Amino acid sequence: MSTQHADHAHGQGREQDHDHDHIHDHATHRHPPAQPDDTSPPGRYELMILAMRDLLIEKGILTADQIRRGLEKLDAWQPSRGAEIVARAWTDPAFKRRLLADGNEAVADYGIDMGGAKLTVLENTDKVQNVVVCTLCSCYPRAVLGLPPDWYRSKNYRSRVVKEPRKVLSEFGTELADNIVVRVHDSLADLRYLVVPRRPAGTENWSKDELAGLVTRDCMVGVADPRVESKPE
Amino acid sequence: MTGLFAPGDVVRVAGVHPPGHRRTPFYIRGKQGVIERVCGEFANPEELGYGFDGLPKKRLYCVRFHQKDLWADYDGDAGDTVDVDVYEHWLSRCTDRVGDATGSTGVK
Amino acid sequence: MQGPENLEPDNSQLSSAKEAGRGYHDLGGLEGGPIDTQVSQAKPWEKLAVVVGNALGAKGAKIVRTDEVRRTREEMGADLYNRLGYFEKGIESLRRLLVEKGVLNPQELERRIAERARQIEEEGR
Repeated sequence: MSTQHADHAHGQGREQDHDHDHIHDHATHRHPPAQPDDTSPPGRYELMILAMRDLLIEKGILTADQIRRGLEKLDAWQPSRGAEIVARAWTDPAFKRRLLADGNEAVADYGIDMGGAKLTVLENTDKVQNVVVCTLCSCYPRAVLGLPPDWYRSKNYRSRVVKEPRKVLSEFGTELADNIVVRVHDSLADLRYLVVPRRPAGTENWSKDELAGLVTRDCMVGVADPRVESKPE
Repeated sequence: MTGLFAPGDVVRVAGVHPPGHRRTPFYIRGKQGVIERVCGEFANPEELGYGFDGLPKKRLYCVRFHQKDLWADYDGDAGDTVDVDVYEHWLSRCTDRVGDATGSTGVK
Repeated sequence: MQGPENLEPDNSQLSSAKEAGRGYHDLGGLEGGPIDTQVSQAKPWEKLAVVVGNALGAKGAKIVRTDEVRRTREEMGADLYNRLGYFEKGIESLRRLLVEKGVLNPQELERRIAERARQIEEEGR
């Protein structure tokens, strides 16, 4: 039976390498409680991806090590990376200028590789709210924000946000001030979009970490705005 | 290499529906917009999708559409827009400023 | 007397049938329901699908391109497209592409799927 740990990725199935590059000392290295084993019957596509992986490894096209490293890399792709970038943009005008001029160059400071896509950073202002979608599939800046959330991938979002963005935003609890226009960006080509939301009032003395804590994934897609009530105690 | 269009140019998206892999969405075909910026040059996805090398590269433009030009019943702000990244071969210079070139509402 | 011929292109096999010429994946502007804002964690097999896809691409084995996988996603037919979940569609698209390229034999894949099902039934995941 396999256990899942939140802080590093394991391969799937018993015969996967179960190597750790650190020692489990339960006195000093606490894991979150193991997830209950998933005993639901596997669907066709779960079985299929396992079979595909096995065949691709047997044929020498991929290696188990490559997949293990890929899973670790995927787990490192989290919205917190984007939040850190936004917090720095808010507090460092020179960085913000670099970010808006050439997103790829600026996020390279954080070791982020966009994998050939051109990162285009959009700034929300007093006059403009930017909102991002991919109506044809679900393209998303994964290296900065991780995997796209269910709603972003949904037919309802992809259909409606280009034609009634204000209504969609209100379903996220987001109401816009008067005289803000909504600019929807349909990212269908090699550009990936990241939104820098408006910095909330009253945060002038906050640290970068506290500011980053305000910036949720939804804020960086443009469907929500950062709220001061979520400041950590 | 200079492209056909510059920021500020009014352009129209071809009102055609070719089969196969295209990255120009249905809702902007036949519609009029403005070049917001030049995005760069990229291999053509319509060819890459089938294993061709997609060369020579195509110029990609960010084209800005007014919502009120896309949807007859749009009830948001008159300044609301949709920006779509469109490849050069789908665009032509627009001299007329009224209406939709396909002559169809799109819904059959 | 015969009327004028229909001049619309017939892409019906690819179309959602909502509008002639609109691929079933081409959703912008269609009617849709309320947004369910609840998010779920990707399951291990879903993450594996992402990683296998990436490993076959430009940063790995270089035998598939994102554009090709998008294209096969648009070829599976409206029925499958509407029935399968997001990651399932990704796996199905990859399967079609790898079969097309001669990298995977579809019958061999089915045999392995059946074996894996038996194994999981006996031993768990």
